[in-house]
Amino acid sequence: MTATWKKLRTLFAAQFAEMVEYRAEVVIWMLSGTLSLVMMLVWMAQAAAAPGGEINGYTPSEFASYFLGTWTVSQLMVVWVAWELDLDIRQGTLSPKLLRPLDPLWTWYTGHLAERVVRFPLMLVLVAVFAWLAGARFTTDPLAYLAALGLAFLGFSARFLWEYCVGLLAFWTESSTSFQEVVWLFYAALGGMFAPLAFYPQWVQNVAVWTPFPYMLGLPAQLLAGKASLADAGRGAAVLAAWLVIFWFLRLLVWRVGLRKYGAVGA
Amino acid sequence: MTRYLRLIRIFTGATLSAQLEYRANFLGAVLASVGEAGVALLGIAVLFGQPELDTVGGWTFHEALLVTGLFMLTEGVISVFIQPNMSKIAEAVRTGSMDFTLLKPIDAQFGVSTRHLNVLRVTDLLIGAGLIGYAASHLTVTPGGLAGAALLYLSAVVIVYCIWLALSTTAFWFVKTQNASELFNGVFGAARFPVTAFPVPVRALLTFVVPVAFITTVPAQAMTGTLTPALALASPLVAAALFVLTRLFWLRAVASYTSASS
Repeated sequence: MTATWKKLRTLFAAQFAEMVEYRAEVVIWMLSGTLSLVMMLVWMAQAAAAPGGEINGYTPSEFASYFLGTWTVSQLMVVWVAWELDLDIRQGTLSPKLLRPLDPLWTWYTGHLAERVVRFPLMLVLVAVFAWLAGARFTTDPLAYLAALGLAFLGFSARFLWEYCVGLLAFWTESSTSFQEVVWLFYAALGGMFAPLAFYPQWVQNVAVWTPFPYMLGLPAQLLAGKASLADAGRGAAVLAAWLVIFWFLRLLVWRVGLRKYGAVGA
Repeated sequence: MTRYLRLIRIFTGATLSAQLEYRANFLGAVLASVGEAGVALLGIAVLFGQPELDTVGGWTFHEALLVTGLFMLTEGVISVFIQPNMSKIAEAVRTGSMDFTLLKPIDAQFGVSTRHLNVLRVTDLLIGAGLIGYAASHLTVTPGGLAGAALLYLSAVVIVYCIWLALSTTAFWFVKTQNASELFNGVFGAARFPVTAFPVPVRALLTFVVPVAFITTVPAQAMTGTLTPALALASPLVAAALFVLTRLFWLRAVASYTSASS
């Protein structure tokens, strides 16, 4: 146990050192994820123009709070492991990584976590500026922040695992990364990046509650905006934990079958 | 002039035969196009799904769909014609293979802008054209409006090309330019909605600072016959001004180029 812990700590330190070098890029990556911000501006303008000054019970400032929340949470949810796997499998650079005494999954997982540490303070500055410009208001309950952070962590881990599975498809097909686009569409749509989930048709909501998406994006955003309770957070965490287990075993399965195929081509 | 047209034909033939060797990639390209179309359509579907909203920024559903179609079409133009060429400029500067382009007896800007094509993303163009056709069939579009839209869309393409070229030309001084194009994509994402759907200060930003409004909103307005003469004139003027500026910027960059070894 201590040996594994030591390995993880060393990995994290190395990955952190690497990510700090990319700090300028991190800002640009953050600014290029604009879908939440575009949707925020559009909804705010519609609510301001609506007769009652609100749409579906949301005023412009409440839209600002919700969408800045999803923007913040989606920043913590960025995963690029599918690209790395795609490259490593096709170029054969996966082979040396297989020789290490640790599943390569952990190298990438700690890499993503280290990037989050670099991203977090920069993100806070940007959120503060955007919130001031758009007139967003966040909750004052410290427990809500903790719960949102916890959900974001569970959500990030779930997303990491499913993106890992998508990346592993590179064992079989050259175009594994384009599957990502389609999966991302479900994540953005059901997660609530286009609108709060309550704005969707009822049947979509009925389907969405069984998926992990609303609990990783929309729910933490609602917690930050003060529109969701801690009990909601608890239920969301339970669903996310169940999906984590499913994705974990799915990843193991794809990895085992894929490695056999990788070995068979003579790597 | 005919020489340049012949060169375009040769370049196209060469990239076509190179790309069609990898047939499996076609499935991937289709998936990616479907994903992008889904994002663009969901955005307006949820907006118009609200009972309180029958227009967004003064645009009806089919008018807004026209903007979405133009957005998808432009994504197609970027991924088929512009991005495959522009992304290679940085690499050519870094490795020094820009030398070969500059030595050829054709205009270097023409050379770097037309050499490559990504045929696989033609699906984006088809989806965009299909959406525009579908939306237009529910609106009254005059032949004059259509011609005006086509002309204004041409300036839109010139504007997009110029912005990408300007960003990619910075590669002569900076090693990496992907990040700049990422940023452009982020701002361009706002073009999926009519510019009047945004709050007033942002609208000004999207028209005058980053001319996103000219790319999708203005051609759509020409098609529905709601375009003001001022904007109709502004779009080709902006395109012409940008073209001259990026041309000068490109010439300056090439003049300062000293190959990879120095």
